[in-house]
Amino acid sequence: MQWTLSEEQVAYQEALRGWLGATAPSAVLRSWLDAGDVETFQRSFAAAGWSGVGIPEELAGQGGGLVELALTCEELGRSAAPSAGWLATVLAVPALSGRKDLLAAALAGPGVALLLPAEQVPATARPLPLSSDGTLSGEIPRVLAGGSAARFVVPAVAPDGVLQLRLVDAGAQQVHLSARTLLDRSRSVTDVRLAAAPSEPLDVDASAVLAEASDRAALLVAADALGASERMLELAVEYSKQRHQFGVPIGSFQAVKHAAASMLVGIEAARSVTYYAAASVDAQGADSSMHAAATKAQVTADAARAADTALTMHGAIGYTWEHDLHLFYKRVKLDERLAGSPAAWNERLADALQLV
Amino acid sequence: MDFELSEDQSTIRKSVAELAARFDDQYWMEKDERHEFPSEFYEAVASAGWLGLTTPEEYGGHGYGITEASLLLEEVSASGGGMNAASAIHLSIFGMHPVIVHGSDQMKKENLPRIVAGDLHVCFGVTEPGAGLDTTRITTFAKRDGSDYVVNGRKVWISKAQESEKILLLTRTAKFEDSPKKTAGLTLFFTDLNRDAVDIRPIRKMGRNAISSNELFIDDLRIPEEDRVGEEGQGFKYILDGLNPERMLIAAEALGLGRAALRRAVRYGNEREVFGRPIGMNQGLQFPLADSLAHLDAAELSLRKATWLYDQGLPCAREANTAKYLCADAGFTAADRALQTHGGMGYAEEYHVARYFREARLLRIAPISQEMVLNFLGEHVLGMPRSY
Ligand SMILES: Cc1cc2nc3c(=O)[nH]c(=O)nc-3n(C[C@H](O)[C@H](O)[C@H](O)COP(=O)(O)OP(=O)(O)OC[C@H]3O[C@@H](n4cnc5c(N)ncnc54)[C@H](O)[C@@H]3O)c2cc1C
Repeated sequence: MQWTLSEEQVAYQEALRGWLGATAPSAVLRSWLDAGDVETFQRSFAAAGWSGVGIPEELAGQGGGLVELALTCEELGRSAAPSAGWLATVLAVPALSGRKDLLAAALAGPGVALLLPAEQVPATARPLPLSSDGTLSGEIPRVLAGGSAARFVVPAVAPDGVLQLRLVDAGAQQVHLSARTLLDRSRSVTDVRLAAAPSEPLDVDASAVLAEASDRAALLVAADALGASERMLELAVEYSKQRHQFGVPIGSFQAVKHAAASMLVGIEAARSVTYYAAASVDAQGADSSMHAAATKAQVTADAARAADTALTMHGAIGYTWEHDLHLFYKRVKLDERLAGSPAAWNERLADALQLV
Repeated sequence: MDFELSEDQSTIRKSVAELAARFDDQYWMEKDERHEFPSEFYEAVASAGWLGLTTPEEYGGHGYGITEASLLLEEVSASGGGMNAASAIHLSIFGMHPVIVHGSDQMKKENLPRIVAGDLHVCFGVTEPGAGLDTTRITTFAKRDGSDYVVNGRKVWISKAQESEKILLLTRTAKFEDSPKKTAGLTLFFTDLNRDAVDIRPIRKMGRNAISSNELFIDDLRIPEEDRVGEEGQGFKYILDGLNPERMLIAAEALGLGRAALRRAVRYGNEREVFGRPIGMNQGLQFPLADSLAHLDAAELSLRKATWLYDQGLPCAREANTAKYLCADAGFTAADRALQTHGGMGYAEEYHVARYFREARLLRIAPISQEMVLNFLGEHVLGMPRSY
């Protein structure tokens, strides 16, 4: 058994980290967030060729699988990049497997988004009723990247009760958007209302696609939280060496050291479980959905705790917007909720374990 | 608001501490290792008159309240005697409550003075193999036979049954299925633990080994009507009356154990030198102990409030449950940390914290589990739906 990233994967990770450092340093990132600009990043991310990594070539991507996608998410989390539009697209890609014509454009942005509440496990989202004339009506709150998507993939039930996925043009006049503000400004959600919006069918197995989207969402959000946690640990350790109290660096106090060490333990555990689960879901092993569920539940909950530890280590400065910590703090607090809370994923695990 | 103990209470506390200090950790370690009832300790407590602390004066007691009883048990436990010491006397101190409130004059006259004097040991028989926390599901059955009852069934975990002459025994006189309410049809007896009809077998267990806990196989135990406590079918209610005081006393014992553990941990932390300095200089050791101190102090306040309410005749279920919950957790956590502070020596009997640890763990399970306390608070205090 060998559990390391390949040389190419390491090289990929380093290249992406370098690119993000140059393209989206804190000052630039903050200017985007202040302006509510999510598109500049999405465009340059695609232009630099990152957006198709981890997507099979036959789906207009550059090849690779979930491990590569997880690496991407880890780096995006580590830099708190405004990646919601890209992530939403990646989650919707399997739904478009029969529509190669749309895929390349979606990966280049503006993208595609699954029309379901961002905080829900995709497979549990309530489908909209499909009218006999093929239109869809209803309101879906808090759609991830709903404000920047060009198209929506909508779970719907036909009058015969069969679950389908339908494609809706986000620019249609029957589609009404109202943006929401999140505490984590690096991601966005939008309420979407369809008023007899025309739709076309997607020729895929809807349940299978949503199940796959659930596994992928669990994993990729966890990877994002992992990256953000790593960054918070770096910031906290750095600060603990620089900040002096009682004549010594605060990092020399044992309780502070131990807090950092506990974060590191959590991060190492998170990395192990995340990449194992990524490989497992890619291989579609028997328990792969359980692995994804455990990853989401464990990693994002632990990251949220790590955020509190990091904040404690920073003292009052961590409470300000002046310091970067808050970007990652908010990032992981949202990751904890995104695509299903740890409680929701634990519930799925409990169901799979067939407890009473 | 007044946080001061009364003069009597301070005196009780001080005298009990002095008495308990005559029995050191060595004594308790040996009793525990030998699975031997601490008779010397029990005699000392009895002859100093403490067993009658809460018994009404007309039956030879002092008529004090639950606050005084909790101080007594806390000190006994905190002396290092822990649960071995507390359980040796626990039932004599307050366990007769159902008899005091609901028993006949005859029953009280015959028994209470003997309990106060210490020559009558008693035990409490509720739990059964098939009925733990869900008490109304007991099946030990008392069948009428003329003016007697004939009892058959099984009890489990009955502490001190080996040493006891009498048992406070909860039975069913009507089957669960035949009772209009699940709490109906239960009848309480205070009767001789007749060895001819009751086979008593000790259970091998994790700790508190100076006090046995036993399985009871009851085979045609004949009980005269006079040994019934109160009315037939009302037993559950009589037991309920005693539950809040029971929780407070257990809380006091857990608290005392936590104090004992913390004391040992601090001593060891100051004495033991590693890397050229006392290990207590490490924040990694000192902070958990300081944290335990804070938790024990907070738990103590909730306990004091609960016993005060009870003694004032005010409702106290919320506080009694809270005190049990907080004291059991704080006591266990302190014992766990004391063990950790001792490193390898924590695992050795000679430093005593291993014994405290085993005993403290019990209090999160019995007489009522932490989960059941949360059930109570969730349902009855917060008004949320019953979850089970
Ligand atoms: C050393 C010792 C001495 C004892 N002495 C006596 C004695 O003298 N006399 C006597 O009558 N009994 C005695 N007991 C028994 C004690 O009162 C019981 O162990 C206790 O009430 C718990 O019951 P149980 O062990 O059957 O647990 P169970 O009722 O089987 O419960 C098992 C677990 O399930 C949980 N659980 C059960 N129901 C719920 C629910 N609704 N919601 C959430 N969680 C739940 C519990 O919290 C527990 O963790 C003693 C026990 C011990 C260990």
